[in-house]
Amino acid sequence: MKLIGIVGSAAEVSTNRQLLNFIKKQYKKEFTLELVEIKDFPLFNQEEDQTQSPAIQRLNRQLLMADGVIIATPEHNHTVTAGLKSLLEWLSFKIHPLENKPVMIVGASYYDQGTSRAQLHLRQILDAPGVNALVMPGNEFLLGKAKEAFDEAGDLIDARTVAFLDATINSFLQFIKVVSALAGPKQLPPEDLYATGKIATTLEGVDMYDDQWLEKAAEAVGAVSGNTYVKLNRGLLTVDQINYFLDSMPMELTFADSNNQFLYYNLREEAQNMLAARVPGQVGNPLAKCHPEKSFKNVEWVIQQLRSGATDAVRVHVPKQVPEKYIVHNYQAMHDENGEYAGINEYILDFKPIIEWYLQQTGQKLVGNEDAISSASVHQEPTDAVTSASTHDAPAADAVTSASVK
Amino acid sequence: MKFIGFVGTNTTRSTNRTLLQFMKKMFANEAEIELVEIKDLPMFNKPESKELPVQVTQLAEKIAAADGVIISTPEYDHAVPAALINALNWLSYGIFPFVDKPVMITGASYGTLGSSRAQAHLRQILDSPELKARIMPSSEFLLGHSLQAFDEQGNLIDEEQTEKLQGLFNDFLLFVKITSQLQHAHAANQKEAAEFSWETI
Repeated sequence: MKLIGIVGSAAEVSTNRQLLNFIKKQYKKEFTLELVEIKDFPLFNQEEDQTQSPAIQRLNRQLLMADGVIIATPEHNHTVTAGLKSLLEWLSFKIHPLENKPVMIVGASYYDQGTSRAQLHLRQILDAPGVNALVMPGNEFLLGKAKEAFDEAGDLIDARTVAFLDATINSFLQFIKVVSALAGPKQLPPEDLYATGKIATTLEGVDMYDDQWLEKAAEAVGAVSGNTYVKLNRGLLTVDQINYFLDSMPMELTFADSNNQFLYYNLREEAQNMLAARVPGQVGNPLAKCHPEKSFKNVEWVIQQLRSGATDAVRVHVPKQVPEKYIVHNYQAMHDENGEYAGINEYILDFKPIIEWYLQQTGQKLVGNEDAISSASVHQEPTDAVTSASTHDAPAADAVTSASVK
Repeated sequence: MKFIGFVGTNTTRSTNRTLLQFMKKMFANEAEIELVEIKDLPMFNKPESKELPVQVTQLAEKIAAADGVIISTPEYDHAVPAALINALNWLSYGIFPFVDKPVMITGASYGTLGSSRAQAHLRQILDSPELKARIMPSSEFLLGHSLQAFDEQGNLIDEEQTEKLQGLFNDFLLFVKITSQLQHAHAANQKEAAEFSWETI
């Protein structure tokens, strides 16, 4: 499970941050907790919209991907901090990533009443229609006398406090399971696999389906090649050097842009020797032309997950009639400097040699079924010259490496 | 009498500001109302040095010198805007211009509820030990549908609302007079606020 922890204090030294760090450590077997700081965001002003800024877009993606959120709030002037309120305002103005998201509230305070008022205000704010979070009822965790509550390693000292925290965290994990059913599957916009739209980098005037698309498009746009230098982030390479570099990657690389057009692959082998066959003439095709029609739903699903930010990577094992290999297709989302979705980096490789080398290096062995690596597909799996995600029905939860399928 | 009209938002277009400007005009014979803005205040970050930005000290001086404060607040997510919480955070950090200060609360909102929740929230905030203002009790002024509430000259159109506002303002004038006599504990209150520390409760 993947949770986000929002630190509700902008102070350099904060017991609320300490509390979240403790939770991160203490329950790392149950979930990962990624901390978010309110001081990284500007004060909300509805006339100076920062929703498109990299920081807020990144937070939007993080929250959409998370299974739940824990907010640690101090109390200042009998209420939540300005910084925390401001962050929630950004998350309720043009974007609403907390909608139907399970949220748990904790608070640390120097004094006995330990943030009781701020927590009540926070519940009200999270309930407001623009925020619309699903706040776990009851289970108030108030850490009073917080300055003396942690030892030097940052651990909570009092065993009863830890036990109570255990109970509320476990309630939250249950709550997440129950409430995720309420939210239902998210309806994502459909994908145009025929790339009939366009983006800033789309080349018009050359037929996408043309076998000579690359040659014609390169000439039309005056593309550089050979020993011309290209400045990259971060380095200076000639086009030839970039080719050597990409060709030397021990995996098949494919670049599909955010308009669903196939723009590049590292051509090293002929199609029949590739793990996922491609032919040179395919470059420039829309993704629809690169996949069999029966797999379109799967292809669309993968792109939707990556474009929406529900996940940053989808990993699929594609069985082929080569049991000695364990071929994995990795679909990694790419983002531009503003954090906007920029397309897919699909890298394909055989995992088996890596695992075998690791086992050899560490002197370990696999336990149980020796055929586990050669995978389930010893049976005849219909694959095509041009492969895509598995040809099964919509990928199940285990195809996704990160957050649960939304 | 001199009042500060505290605009509870950082936007340039604001019906709360329009409301305060209307009050300034309408009650010009009874009191001088000076509007102050919170737009230029930096985000409150509890500086170790306890050094305050100059805009904060200027604002604090004006409030301390005034006979009372009228705060007009919008409602964001069922509460006051972060910008207003931010201003109040600064105005109670080592300085105490609000302690025992008479305060009247109004609010304008585009919707029907006229900032009712934000006003209740604001009362709770002003009750905290470092602010400890004297809020005029039982006196909600909620201006709903505020985009249609004013004419081109910025005057309130609805007569009933205008009458109610006049009544509340007269109450506030009286309230300020009465509370100005409740000064016997003021020095002690100021001292207590200054010495108050959540750490030593």
